[in-house]
Amino acid sequence: MNIRRLLLVPATALTLSGCLASYTLVASGINTVDDLTVVADPGWNLAPKVAGSGDRRNSQTWTRDGELLNSLVLIPAVPDGESLITSRDRSAALPVFRADMLPNEIEELAESTFVKLFGEGNAVFDTSNLRPHSFGEQRGFLFDVEASVTESPDYKGIVGAFIANDKLYFMYYFAADPYYYAKDLAAAEAIIKSAALAAPEESG
Amino acid sequence: MIRSSIPLLVAALFAATTVLGDEFASIAHEIPPGYEPQPERDEQGLWSEMEDLELGINKSALLLRSGDLVDYVNTIVCRVAGPYCGDLRVYVIRNPHFNASMAPNGMMQIWTGLIVRAGSTDEIAAVVGHEIAHYTRLHSLERLRAVKNSMNAGLIFDIALAAATGVDTPVGQLTAMLGALAFNRDQETEADLLGTKIMAAADYDPHASYVLWERILAEEQAAVAKGNRPAGFISTHPPSEKRAARLRQVVADHYGPSSLGPEADQALLDVLNGNYLMLMEDQLDTNRYGRTLEILERHAKMGVDPGLVSFFYGETYRQRGADGDQELAMAAYRESIQGGTAPPEAYKNLGYLLLKRDDRAAASEAFTKYLELAPDASDRAMIEFYLEDLS
Repeated sequence: MNIRRLLLVPATALTLSGCLASYTLVASGINTVDDLTVVADPGWNLAPKVAGSGDRRNSQTWTRDGELLNSLVLIPAVPDGESLITSRDRSAALPVFRADMLPNEIEELAESTFVKLFGEGNAVFDTSNLRPHSFGEQRGFLFDVEASVTESPDYKGIVGAFIANDKLYFMYYFAADPYYYAKDLAAAEAIIKSAALAAPEESG
Repeated sequence: MIRSSIPLLVAALFAATTVLGDEFASIAHEIPPGYEPQPERDEQGLWSEMEDLELGINKSALLLRSGDLVDYVNTIVCRVAGPYCGDLRVYVIRNPHFNASMAPNGMMQIWTGLIVRAGSTDEIAAVVGHEIAHYTRLHSLERLRAVKNSMNAGLIFDIALAAATGVDTPVGQLTAMLGALAFNRDQETEADLLGTKIMAAADYDPHASYVLWERILAEEQAAVAKGNRPAGFISTHPPSEKRAARLRQVVADHYGPSSLGPEADQALLDVLNGNYLMLMEDQLDTNRYGRTLEILERHAKMGVDPGLVSFFYGETYRQRGADGDQELAMAAYRESIQGGTAPPEAYKNLGYLLLKRDDRAAASEAFTKYLELAPDASDRAMIEFYLEDLS
């Protein structure tokens, strides 16, 4: 699994299905992804969900200029013992979330997951600026990511995460640098910082 | 029946060893220093493809362009290559997997995973010698022509490049292309023999050639048992007991006793100690704890800075998170700290583990020490948040 393959799989599947216009505009305002809410500004597109891409079933990828250039990924409610991405390759050695993880360990989980996402050996990642942030009533944190990728522009990103009810809520923005990262950083960061658990539905 | 076949088997082995000994004595480079591709279209095409790939590697963000690690590798390559040194261009790639490769135009790649796994500089020289032997015996061209006899040569490139589109890197393209032209068993034997010969001529211990294969064989068998596939160099150079035994016999027949001990030479130790955080963090990011623990065990025996090795034992156990790993990780961090060469992160990550165990005073002490040692730490805000919470 690597980023080219991750992008080629959906592209090929869409071409074969003849379904080329499957990106849909994200409504501005409050959006709910599983039991996670975020507040979106205009101009984001929801990427189509394609089997085999490595995305978790309930995650969403938003982009403004195409996923290779900028992606905002929202991964809600990852249970204990599961990974942030999926793979059919049993030897992929994906890192898994544990409910007792502290911020430094989520930071490492992210780094190792990104290594798998780009393909082992194709990129190295550095994280920095781990800092606290409250997501609604949940204690969480933010950190920055930088990637050096072989034969590709560098990537930069920002990650936000919190744990609630023993589940991980993980949001990240990743974009090619220079230009694309800086272009939408403020908007993406605002969306990530707005993340919160959706209010439980009232019964009766 | 079995008994009657034993003399035959012994005779066959003796004959094989004799033939190999003769081959070892006579094997030599096939091209002179300063070699340029001949006018034949296939060789010109092969070089041209490799030059294109080399341009990509030159731009790679993962290429280490300078520093002691690059100087160290260049020194080994030049010493083993001798008069061919000027024909080779060495690229040290930041990649945690064990790999080295040689393109027919003189482009050599050494991945940092090889440095991490070597037990001595002599072992790296053995791999380098093997790769140089492929180059000076024109093995890639030989394979291209052999394959061309059975199918259209242009198709070979198409297949290789098509395979490479899923790999997305010049390194991957090269691997795929050379994979399509994978060396055959005879060529591997030749490269083993000539490689050993030239490394020994450069005053490296030739015993390292089979020691390396025995080590890699053991690591791969252990890793496969844990569900990991062979990767990189191993997938194209399958280690085998037969291969190691053959090299052991040849070296025993032609050279004196081994000078290699359990401890690594100072040159390798210096380069490992000086780059350990980068090298092992990349290894750790593969999330392959079995391999990482095997490497750490080896490094401890080799004499790598014990404080650094203990720190990464702590990192590995903590990230693995199996039953009992928290205790193992805390003990390893404390050992690292006692060793006096622990990075500041040993205090930080010990602090986080103490926090999990609600040992608030000790966690606070460890976090305070971390900030004292790393006042400009980029995660200062997070640590101060916990310190305030703990107080």
